[in-house]
Amino acid sequence: MPITPMEVYKLLPKTNCKKCGEQTCMSFAFKLINREKKLEDCTPLFEEKKYAGQLEDLKRLLQPLEEATETGLIVDEELCSGCGNCVVVCPVHASEDPKGMGSGFGPTIDDPILRIEDGVVKVVEMMKCRRYGKNRILCVACRENCPSDAIRFLEG
Amino acid sequence: MPTCTGCSCLCPDIVIKDSKVFNACRKGSSIFRHCREKRAEPMISGKKVDFGRALEKASEIISSSEKLAIYGLDTIPLEAQGVAIKLAERKKAYIDDNSSFCLGDFVEMILKGILPTTTLDEVRSNAYVIFYWGTDPYNSLSRHLSLYTYYPRAGKRQRGYEEDRYLVVVDVRKSHTAKLAKKNAKFIKVDSDEDLIEGFISTMDGKAGKYYEETGRIIKKMQRGKFNVIFGGLGLKYGLNGNYEKFVEMVKRMNELTQVYFIPAGFHANMRGFNELMFEKTGFVNRYSFEFRKSAPKYEFSELVRSDSIDVALIIGSDPVNSLPFDVVQKLRKKRLVLIDPKFSLTSKIAEVVIPSAITGIDQGGTMVRSDGVKMKIDPLWEAEWNDESILKELLEEVR
Repeated sequence: MPITPMEVYKLLPKTNCKKCGEQTCMSFAFKLINREKKLEDCTPLFEEKKYAGQLEDLKRLLQPLEEATETGLIVDEELCSGCGNCVVVCPVHASEDPKGMGSGFGPTIDDPILRIEDGVVKVVEMMKCRRYGKNRILCVACRENCPSDAIRFLEG
Repeated sequence: MPTCTGCSCLCPDIVIKDSKVFNACRKGSSIFRHCREKRAEPMISGKKVDFGRALEKASEIISSSEKLAIYGLDTIPLEAQGVAIKLAERKKAYIDDNSSFCLGDFVEMILKGILPTTTLDEVRSNAYVIFYWGTDPYNSLSRHLSLYTYYPRAGKRQRGYEEDRYLVVVDVRKSHTAKLAKKNAKFIKVDSDEDLIEGFISTMDGKAGKYYEETGRIIKKMQRGKFNVIFGGLGLKYGLNGNYEKFVEMVKRMNELTQVYFIPAGFHANMRGFNELMFEKTGFVNRYSFEFRKSAPKYEFSELVRSDSIDVALIIGSDPVNSLPFDVVQKLRKKRLVLIDPKFSLTSKIAEVVIPSAITGIDQGGTMVRSDGVKMKIDPLWEAEWNDESILKELLEEVR
């Protein structure tokens, strides 16, 4: 399941104390999910005992953030059947390797973004993804064509 | 480049590097990764013997048999299937494979020219409307959509699945493949396949039948595409229950408006190869008796076992104890069984003689026929000492 800012906000102190440098707890929640802020930046959560329970829940909720790649991509290999839909639909693959992955075959270039290895999808070169870097595009082609939800993105 | 023989897609682009398998799906890669595990050993009545002794005993049993059945055959190359058919002919035996309860009927209709067909390469370059009728290729033929049909950009279909393809999934439930039918696609949940076929026919008659909204739109899309294909699976076969006339009529009527082809979705790696060999030799695709020179439902392997019509069964590259119904298996264990298989299986536990053979695409090569009827040359990674063809040839020479 994707993590929404509202879910995170509900577990924050909701005092808008501005100690984290943000104007509101809601904007801190957004930045937490975008990984621009860290949970440790919210000092009251760690200092005040009454938030201990919430802190535990938050840590559990934000666990997938640690596993996700820089683009927010999460691959669950257990669910993958190795169909290769994600590899073939990727627009970057289609433009860089039209005769290989663009036409349905395996990659003929050395550094594809995704590749099927031992029957499951593996992330090889994340930097090439259109979601990477400052001017990113929130492309979801690979997730849209994964019927078993083996590919997810943090934002849902 | 190695070819995967996990299913009838026969993916030709497998790469093996640093003991890792690239590009193959989960099913295909496991064949390569676990090819050395659980290999069968020559056995007589559960005791390990040397290879020559097992072969001798097998030919003894087959020679002494009066009513022999040869079964399996779908995972071995054409060359070995040819020898098995010769052996069946010599022994006036029954011969059958999995196609009798799989998609053999559709292969037969294609070989007889009742249904028009095309190749998967043509589909990749030209197809617009792609039907998956009663099949869930995401699970059974994982790379079918991405390698051959819906996703590739090729030939006339360069703009990819979002603009240049139209996916239609017909099923009784929302399968994984049905989940892919989003934009520019349609999922039709049916209770009865006949209703949908009648719906299509009435739409073509200009009347509003059942499912008129979906059928109307799909027919328009098909006319736009000029090259369309239906992949029929087991759901369609068992949904129609043997009454294919309506379906054939629907395809015929569609072909008056536009071009529609039919390809059976998929099955064991070389099932179609066996069907084609049998069709060439006898005019029938499966469940054939060389004694009575005809094919009949009662010559299906399960039926032969149920009715005690055989005394010896030669099983090649199959695991009937795992795949056939329990009552058949109970009767099967009372027959004398000779098993030729590369792997240890449940059937090898009850077989009187086990002869280990080779895995096609790993330690034996040959020719196989893809689901669309294209012959594929399979190169082995290395050659085993004994393979299906040499074992069967040896039996053919020895058996009287």
